[in-house]
Amino acid sequence: MILAVRRLLAALTVMLAAAAYGEVYQEPSAFLAEVFGKTPPPKVLWLTKDLQAEAAAILGHPPVQLRQRYWSEGVKSVWILEETGKEEPITAGFVVAEGRIDHARVLVYRESRGQEVREAAFLKQFRNAKLAKDGALDRDIDGIVGATLSVGAMERMARLALFFDRASRR
Amino acid sequence: MSPRVLLLLFLRRWHMRIGLAAVVFFLFLAITGVVLNHSAELGLDTRYVHAAWLARWYGIPAEAPRHAFRSGRHDLIAANGRWMLDGRLSGERLPQPLGLVELPDMVVVASSASLYLYGKDGALIDHLERNALPAVPVQAIGAEERRLVLKTASGSFQTRDALSWKSAPRNGVAWSSPVDLSASDRQRYALLLEPGISVQRILLDVHSGRFAGRYGPLVMDLIAILIAVLSLSGVWLFFKRKHRRERH
Repeated sequence: MILAVRRLLAALTVMLAAAAYGEVYQEPSAFLAEVFGKTPPPKVLWLTKDLQAEAAAILGHPPVQLRQRYWSEGVKSVWILEETGKEEPITAGFVVAEGRIDHARVLVYRESRGQEVREAAFLKQFRNAKLAKDGALDRDIDGIVGATLSVGAMERMARLALFFDRASRR
Repeated sequence: MSPRVLLLLFLRRWHMRIGLAAVVFFLFLAITGVVLNHSAELGLDTRYVHAAWLARWYGIPAEAPRHAFRSGRHDLIAANGRWMLDGRLSGERLPQPLGLVELPDMVVVASSASLYLYGKDGALIDHLERNALPAVPVQAIGAEERRLVLKTASGSFQTRDALSWKSAPRNGVAWSSPVDLSASDRQRYALLLEPGISVQRILLDVHSGRFAGRYGPLVMDLIAILIAVLSLSGVWLFFKRKHRRERH
């Protein structure tokens, strides 16, 4: 009996570990190449105490790292961010131009449910979104049944990308 | 007594018995269900329970640390997906490290497919995955003239900032290599680096009954059936009583 329990739990653990690798919809390097043609060298935004505090207010938790890599050319910048939906991080790319989101894409999705956030019908809601005065998006993002937490993570990342873009241009 | 009254008495008696017998399970299901619904807000997915017996129950073999990586004043010991960098735990579900290098303004830990950059105070500066590395898998990490050097099958690469990379010379690199831990250190770090299971995972398994193994979900199914029986018998008893009151 105990052996069977342990086998079952071990199998579940292996399944969860496999899920952690996630489904790669597009390699971040391919996303960058698609946006820029020839990818410019990465730049770095150092998260000072003030930036950390504002990023924490957006995310609902402190940012996990102190520097954020990004790529920019002219008015366009690309932010590849990670945020946890329910259990696993979602990797998404945001292209920001003139303070608005040009487009967003889910690059790696690791959760077992909620993959609908990668669909164009959902992502097009972010097009032209900008930050309102209170730091929220200037529009409501329609949720997806069964993917509430992933939708929330995408919205937080969109706000963070816009905030980081603004901070990088100060 | 008429058969209808007998049935009513029978139902009422069993409604009470089932309700009393199952009250603990119902409360348990309700509480764990509510907590799970708010697991993200409560941060249950980022909280881990570290206990050897729990890992054994989950069939996760506990790995004892054997080596340490040392560079300058810094050291790293790893086991069970956990790192202890300079005596401070660095997180969960981390990869197996290949080496540790101290640079003038940061400490770098490499795994075969990622780099972790820490400040001298142990704060994570950046985490680079395979896409941000010049090549993978990383075979070794070292330092040469205050530069970080990665050895890969495609050659060696050096950087000062882990942003731009160029080919590195083959010679003069001090490669990081593991140092054996003493038996007492192994024992000490084995306790500090016990494998962990997330609280959310445990609660989910307890809620669904999977924690008790193959028959656990069947027990939970039985409880669900009891809830259905209680609901239906409750509704029936309610309408029966109402009907009798109206007749009187």
